[in-house]
Amino acid sequence: MKTGSPFKTFTLPKVVSSLLPNGLKVHAVLKPGLPLVSIHLIYPYGAEADPPGKAGLSDLMAEMLTLGTQKRSAAQLAADVDGLGATLSAHSGWDSTSLHISGLGEDWEKLMELLLEIHTQPAFLLPEFEQLKQRRIAALVQQKDESQVIADERFQEILFQGTPYDHPVYGNLDTLPSLSGEEVEEFYRSRFSPEGCFLVVVGDFKVEACCRWIETHFPSVTRGHEAKAGEFSPVSLSSIKTIIIDRPDLTQSQIRLGHIGIPHAHPDYLAFEVMNYVLGAGGFSSRLMQKIRSERGYTYGIRASLEGRKKPGPFIVSTFTPTETTFPCVQEILAVERSFVAQGATDQERTEAINFLTGSYPMKFETLSQIAQKIIQTEVNGLGLEYLSAYPERVSAITLEAMARSAREHLHIEKMLVVIVGRAGKFRREFEPLGPVEIRE
Amino acid sequence: MTVVRSSASVGKNELIRLLEFKEFRLANGLHLLVGEVHSLPIVSYQVHFAAGSRYERPGITGITHLFEHMMFKGTKELGPEEFSRIIQANGGTLNAFTTTDNTSYYENLPANKLELAVRLEADRLQNLQITPESLEPEREVVRSERKLRSVNTPFGLLIEQLYALAYEQHPYRWPVIGWDHDLKNLTLENCLEYYRTYYAPNNAVVVIVGDVSADEALKTVDRFYGTLPSPPHPRQIITPEKAQRGEKRAVFKKVSQVAAFFASFHIPGISHPDLFPLQILCGALSAGRSSRFFEKLEKPGKAVEAHAEMGHPPFFSMDPGLLQIYAIASPSVPLATLEQEIWEEVEDLRQKTLSREELSKVKKQVRSYFLRNLQTFFFQGLLAGLYQVRAGDFHLLYKILPGYESVTEEDVLRVAQKYLRPENRTLVSLQPVSHSEHEDLGELE
Repeated sequence: MKTGSPFKTFTLPKVVSSLLPNGLKVHAVLKPGLPLVSIHLIYPYGAEADPPGKAGLSDLMAEMLTLGTQKRSAAQLAADVDGLGATLSAHSGWDSTSLHISGLGEDWEKLMELLLEIHTQPAFLLPEFEQLKQRRIAALVQQKDESQVIADERFQEILFQGTPYDHPVYGNLDTLPSLSGEEVEEFYRSRFSPEGCFLVVVGDFKVEACCRWIETHFPSVTRGHEAKAGEFSPVSLSSIKTIIIDRPDLTQSQIRLGHIGIPHAHPDYLAFEVMNYVLGAGGFSSRLMQKIRSERGYTYGIRASLEGRKKPGPFIVSTFTPTETTFPCVQEILAVERSFVAQGATDQERTEAINFLTGSYPMKFETLSQIAQKIIQTEVNGLGLEYLSAYPERVSAITLEAMARSAREHLHIEKMLVVIVGRAGKFRREFEPLGPVEIRE
Repeated sequence: MTVVRSSASVGKNELIRLLEFKEFRLANGLHLLVGEVHSLPIVSYQVHFAAGSRYERPGITGITHLFEHMMFKGTKELGPEEFSRIIQANGGTLNAFTTTDNTSYYENLPANKLELAVRLEADRLQNLQITPESLEPEREVVRSERKLRSVNTPFGLLIEQLYALAYEQHPYRWPVIGWDHDLKNLTLENCLEYYRTYYAPNNAVVVIVGDVSADEALKTVDRFYGTLPSPPHPRQIITPEKAQRGEKRAVFKKVSQVAAFFASFHIPGISHPDLFPLQILCGALSAGRSSRFFEKLEKPGKAVEAHAEMGHPPFFSMDPGLLQIYAIASPSVPLATLEQEIWEEVEDLRQKTLSREELSKVKKQVRSYFLRNLQTFFFQGLLAGLYQVRAGDFHLLYKILPGYESVTEEDVLRVAQKYLRPENRTLVSLQPVSHSEHEDLGELE
């Protein structure tokens, strides 16, 4: 695959994809060099599958998979994983759940055996569940001190009301205490059957032998199962709305503003990505960074991002600023956005954005995890593997007009949700002319 | 051009196969290390200066880091932040970081754009243009960064106090980002003096890793840096820290959901072989779910988190550093109880050797961790660059894996007894207070 004229030719790592006779889809990538291997088993459900009032169930279930099998206690499993110098983790994203083990390439078979055992014979031991739940509750209590985390979570909770994305992946203090071990196990049995799973194996290992091993040992899978789509009926705002989470002890405000964006598979996604590089994702090349940091000195960092999910993900501008510049900072962000939508990007900005996105593309394939994540993302978000090889060419073809259209159609500046974590008493009144202001604890 | 050239020849082991550097030195003293790796068409270009907060003095703390920011403010040719825009417009990513011991600038970019990075870095090394107008907003940016990283994080100020207490004389006692009062008072002249003193070819190590030819890379570097003059090295007196002769403790009060403590023990600097058994010791305490702290403290819910750490190669400090042990208590557990249990675990390591199985497990963990980090050209460059600038010899990187492998049960026992003594311990505990008590104690800064 060629990345376009200014840069040296880049060949994507070869992905060997196969649908094994047992029905399991496997993507294998041989990456010689370092003696490492990274194995990911992906379930087609994530936190969006948490039932109402059960926020955190999927992610809790994922971690329970790593806490013992019918053959090994949690302590034994941990000792066996650590003894291989391996790492084992399981967690839910929004649209999928990942069981991941990585270690030395020479151990690929032992790692695969462990993964299979965890996948097919989890123990769901109640004492382990109770301890895990208490650990998570304690961690959530501690997280109340993290203003950045509070800002991210509250913004998304409020923004995604009425959708399956309306809660933190790992749950919250309202839901977690009431979840039971039986519920977690039942959730696993009903949702996390091998149907719809796929494997991604990347590293320095014996590809053919590994695929044969998977075919021989993994249980048969019935293909064609589709995850049920949850209701996606977000509450749309009619004007800018500001919600301030009052934290009188802070000397700096965390600011999030944005709205629901478009799904990763949307035809305008790449145009939005190029456009947003100019607006707020392009570091010091972005309009927001130039104005808010370089000219005004309001913040150390500011970034606008659109998160690519299966369903529409959030478009968020994230920054922080000392308490006294909170309102001027938000006002300036809105001014930059309005001016950008009105005037659009320049031809030079477009060229620079495309050069960055295509020129830096090979760096997204340096590590085993990066390669695996790229494959997983295309599968889960329904993009198709060819997306990876076609990306540079498609990005290069984005026109100024396509960028301007994506800004006009997919940026909703006058209907932004603004969430601030900081000293409400110091700046609340300044926000009132923008629209409704609400103070929360 | 005078060039001294040598290939890596120390410690023939698997790392040599994976990561070989060619070494050059220009007539003006610039040190160049080039690693040819052709697996991707990219290159990491790095300039590491021997300029860190250890070279500061009271009153100008934070100058090293603030000046790092000023290096992006333009040259005779380029406007403010244009450096970043041009690198990104050519498919590159870039950044810089300041530590106690070095300031490092890097660009990761398409391999055929190497010359651009070399040219722009050499340009700002000799032609930087900074003014009061560019300093003032950047001062506020850095003060905002200080609030982000230290003041408004749960434990940032606690760790600052730990260093200020553990070190009485050595410059590691102040934070890299500096005290807020000093940041407010740094002047343009301070910045210019810092630039003249530390930003010279003979105070820098350039590292290039990626899809390049070493000979071509040398020619390019020599073309842009070869004519730059090097002033005499500055006279540097770094006051060493004296041996600690008794435990030091302090309390820090702030609004918090949890109680916690951060403790430290003085340990040697980057070149010392005791760092390998010390790292194994940290691994036994807290690496992975079979570690002692996880099994005994985190799993049963006594601690939200309990950890022993001292950094990983190449991030060991140049001068004697700190091994930190910290624990965040679960809401229902008194901090004193948790602390006692932690010291019982530490004491166990000072009384008994690790089992052969435990030692073997931790060795495999540290080896895997190190190999995982080696996946990026950027990290490979950091490894060589930071060992060169901090230890004076990049060849030490080849001793890392053999260093771990050679650790014995007795080594771990010996370093536990030598360094984890209560007399060598400093501890700061976080005591949660109400909002009104918090306000009575004054503004955090």
